[in-house]
Amino acid sequence: MRRTVLSALALGSTIVLAGTVPAFADGPSPVPSTRPGAAAPAGPSPVPATRSSAPSAVPSAAPTRANGRGQVSVVPKGAPDTGVTAVSSSSGSEGGLIGGGAAAALVAGGAAVFVVRRRRATGA
Amino acid sequence: MTPLSRRTFATAALACVLMGCAGHPNHRATTAPAVSTPPPSQAAARAVHPLGRSVPVGLRIPAIGVDTPVMQLGLAPDGSVQVPPIQADDRAGWYRQSPTPGQVGPSVLLGHVTVGAYGDGVFRHLARLHRGDRIVVRLENGASAVFTVGDVRTVAKTDFPARDVYGDVNRPELRLITCGGPRSGDGYLDNVIVFATLSSAVP
Repeated sequence: MRRTVLSALALGSTIVLAGTVPAFADGPSPVPSTRPGAAAPAGPSPVPATRSSAPSAVPSAAPTRANGRGQVSVVPKGAPDTGVTAVSSSSGSEGGLIGGGAAAALVAGGAAVFVVRRRRATGA
Repeated sequence: MTPLSRRTFATAALACVLMGCAGHPNHRATTAPAVSTPPPSQAAARAVHPLGRSVPVGLRIPAIGVDTPVMQLGLAPDGSVQVPPIQADDRAGWYRQSPTPGQVGPSVLLGHVTVGAYGDGVFRHLARLHRGDRIVVRLENGASAVFTVGDVRTVAKTDFPARDVYGDVNRPELRLITCGGPRSGDGYLDNVIVFATLSSAVP
């Protein structure tokens, strides 16, 4: 009798435990939902929270299409080009100078080695 | 107790303990966000009324020493957004296909980080902004829209988040865009984007 009762208790507990599995699955979800909540207050909360995961896949298509009905009436293509560097041209010529100098040094070194070996070979 | 019933009892006890363990974190997790999440977003949404349409004429960002007139920008022939001209007296520009600052929607302002031989651009220190910094936009009708920085992102130009920048939103927001990150040739590989929301308005 006692065995039957205990077995029933064990079975019942197992069923209830199985029912809590969705609750375990629920567990992790509050973690992300708290983080956006904490991150949101000062920020543009709806925007990053709802769209942060999507954009990386979407942008290539979005800018090419003109979005006639949105708050931004025409969505520009691509990324804005808001920086022009001046140093690049001068740094390029510097790089050329350095490269040329190194090449000249290599050629001179090779010639010196060649001359020395030849002199030794001829016994001069 | 027979061995079988002892085993059964042990199983039952284990099941009860596991149930007890499962209950607590779940309870904690559900109550915590319920308290923390809604108030800020509700407060932010309630806080400020949107402004009427008025073109921006000036921009001030005290945290990085910006005080500049604002010009209007459209689209370049290739469909990209126009940028302010490369000149010594560099200024910011407002993309005229976006809402004016203070209207509901993402108002987009652009400026250079560097202007070639002329040196630094008006948005040279944009990446130094932090959450909570103030941005004041002066409007043509004499009003000022005050925004608060919520996020500063540096993104690769190849992965420009067009939907985050130009996509619809349910309140007045501001986007400040410039270049940043590593240089390549005569340009930059990244964009720096500041996301801000309207926090107050001065008529």
